[in-house]
Amino acid sequence: MDSDAAPSVTPGAVAFVLENASPDAATGVPVPEIVLQVVDLKPIGTRFTFLASDGKDKIKTMLLTQLAPEVRSGNIQNLGVIRVLDYTCNTIGEKQEKVLIITKLEVVFKALDSEIKCEAEKQEEKPAILLSPKEESVVLSKPTNAPPLPPVVLKPKQEVKSASQIVNEQRGNAAPAARLAMTRRVHPLISLNPYQGNWIIKVRVTSKGNLRTYKNARGEGCVFNVELTDVDGTQIQATMFNEAAKKFYPMFELGKVYYISKGSLRVANKQFKTVHNDYEMTLNENAVVEEAEGETFIPQIQYNFVKIDQLGPYVGGRELVDVIGVVQSVSPTLSVRRKIDNETIPKRDIVVADDSSKTVTISLWNDLATTTGQELLDMVDSAPIIAIKSLKVSDFQGLSLSTVGRSTIVVNPDLPEAEQLRAWYDSEGKGTSMASIGSDMGASRVGGARSMYSDRVFLSHITSDPNLGQDKPVFFSLNAYISLIKPDQTMWYRACKTCNKKVTEAIGSGYWCEGCQKNDAECSLRYIMVIKVSDPTGEAWLSLFNDQAERIVGCSADELDRIRKEEGDDSYLLKLKEATWVPHLFRVSVTQNEYMNEKRQRITVRSEAPVDHAAEAKYMLEEIAKLTGC
Amino acid sequence: MDTSGPAAFVNGEILKMFVGRRVRTVVQAQREEGGLLIGQSTDGHQLTIKGASGAPMSHYVEIIGIAEPNQAIRAEVCTDFGENFDPAPFNGLCKLANGQMKDLFL
Repeated sequence: MDSDAAPSVTPGAVAFVLENASPDAATGVPVPEIVLQVVDLKPIGTRFTFLASDGKDKIKTMLLTQLAPEVRSGNIQNLGVIRVLDYTCNTIGEKQEKVLIITKLEVVFKALDSEIKCEAEKQEEKPAILLSPKEESVVLSKPTNAPPLPPVVLKPKQEVKSASQIVNEQRGNAAPAARLAMTRRVHPLISLNPYQGNWIIKVRVTSKGNLRTYKNARGEGCVFNVELTDVDGTQIQATMFNEAAKKFYPMFELGKVYYISKGSLRVANKQFKTVHNDYEMTLNENAVVEEAEGETFIPQIQYNFVKIDQLGPYVGGRELVDVIGVVQSVSPTLSVRRKIDNETIPKRDIVVADDSSKTVTISLWNDLATTTGQELLDMVDSAPIIAIKSLKVSDFQGLSLSTVGRSTIVVNPDLPEAEQLRAWYDSEGKGTSMASIGSDMGASRVGGARSMYSDRVFLSHITSDPNLGQDKPVFFSLNAYISLIKPDQTMWYRACKTCNKKVTEAIGSGYWCEGCQKNDAECSLRYIMVIKVSDPTGEAWLSLFNDQAERIVGCSADELDRIRKEEGDDSYLLKLKEATWVPHLFRVSVTQNEYMNEKRQRITVRSEAPVDHAAEAKYMLEEIAKLTGC
Repeated sequence: MDTSGPAAFVNGEILKMFVGRRVRTVVQAQREEGGLLIGQSTDGHQLTIKGASGAPMSHYVEIIGIAEPNQAIRAEVCTDFGENFDPAPFNGLCKLANGQMKDLFL
């Protein structure tokens, strides 16, 4: 390609793609030469959109996520010229807008100085391509949790606009019917500060929390909050208490656009900060909230999806993640009793998979469990795709996700990621058997950022620091030999066959379970024991529960009880002896317990895995490399 | 422990420095050519092993023997390590045993 010659676009290309929505083998439409100019390139979430221009017409265009690096690297730039090699043209959103989705392209020319315009069309066509102001503005500020801003060429005029400028622009371009709403002086969110009264903002509710009740020294009350996003992508959290909370809770609907005024701003409390804004908003009863009907232009919820196999580093962190996946299974609702206030909360577990071929369990709580959870249960056979915003990553069951108050779930979202995922699931995902990310973390496989090989310590690290686990449990991995299983300890308890809780012998016959509130003729034995383990630095006692103890002893507690009763103490002792001097990888939690007025460290085994010597050797090599600094 | 005839841990690269001396290495058996075993060392070299015929193909075999020129070893002891063997840590061991951690090894 001669780069000196001014590249040109293909006239009529936009009309062509609108007519031929998907050129492929099925429709028999080959892709002709389609060269288009990139105008108004901007990021939306992890991908990019722009207007593709053939000099006469423009069409809203999205790049597949895989093409995002091309933009970040500067290959695709604003005002650049590209050749479209493969695409589909879809109708998207409430407005039934046609959107060109480019799946394959090559760059013809990096960036021209200006937009290519067909001379003849210039004057008469202009009104036809009426651009609303938002299409001309490039996102000015993004929450910093979004991917780093790519080298998009920002036009200099896209500085913070004054309200009057905005109104002018909007008036100038808006159709007469829309003008009524536009006459409001709408302030960009970024311009708000605590010292300024009298503003109106136009925002979309991108996250809506639950109405929560609280109790503190000053009494009881209720509170709820929403996250608001404006056209520039600026976000702010708004909180409502008591009367205001009750008033606005039913008004705010997720995804809808509102005009809001008469709120107050203050500096955001970093501790509870969830969006990137120095300020947060409080709305009291007198605040004015009005739905902007028919308004759809403000950015949808901004996701920052994390693939399931990349969740490891987020375990136990404060940062919340967004996940998109195919629902594999949905459990019935369970009630869980919360320890602090004895309240029962509905919970439902769902399993989702994504194209990293891993699955993860997500616990839905409260409304999400009962309402959305039921919806999902009803449609689970159709393998719906869900996008969840704001999930907590914990190491429960190895690795699992949990909704928090402000998590939101969108079923079958209208996102390119969802389309991609659907395509993957239909073509290969459906047929493959996928492993749970949680089981990976527990087992001895390396790869996950937090496996048995990450926070590995020696026993002395735990035993030499009596303050470990003072505030909350801390977790470590150990590689240790079992050195003693005391045969005379109480090794098991009688457990309810349904809930595993301790049962008491009922009067007459059978066993009474306090948890289930019923009598059962039978019970099972479950291990609860302590073992002594050793490693090169010392010894320690570990508490052990049923599942891990079964793996270590090699049989169930019922079986061991039978051996003892039927085969005698010698067989019983032999069984325990066989389990001794075997190396294991343990994942343990360390907590502080007060016992007889004395603080004691309690080390509890959370999971166990056999030692994989090859992986262990690799781990040691890495450690040596770290020590020797090479 | 007999320390009179120590066998140095070697991979294909390090083998060259031990010609005429006793070495210990692990190769993956590839084929046999006229009584010679051709195996791949843990760092990807092709080694010729004399006196080690009969090793199952694609198994990892530990060879203790005398290093000869041209990437060859005259085997004295062969041990079949099976197919489930990770060559990377062994290769790492060879490098450490002949480099930074040399003092720790005979």
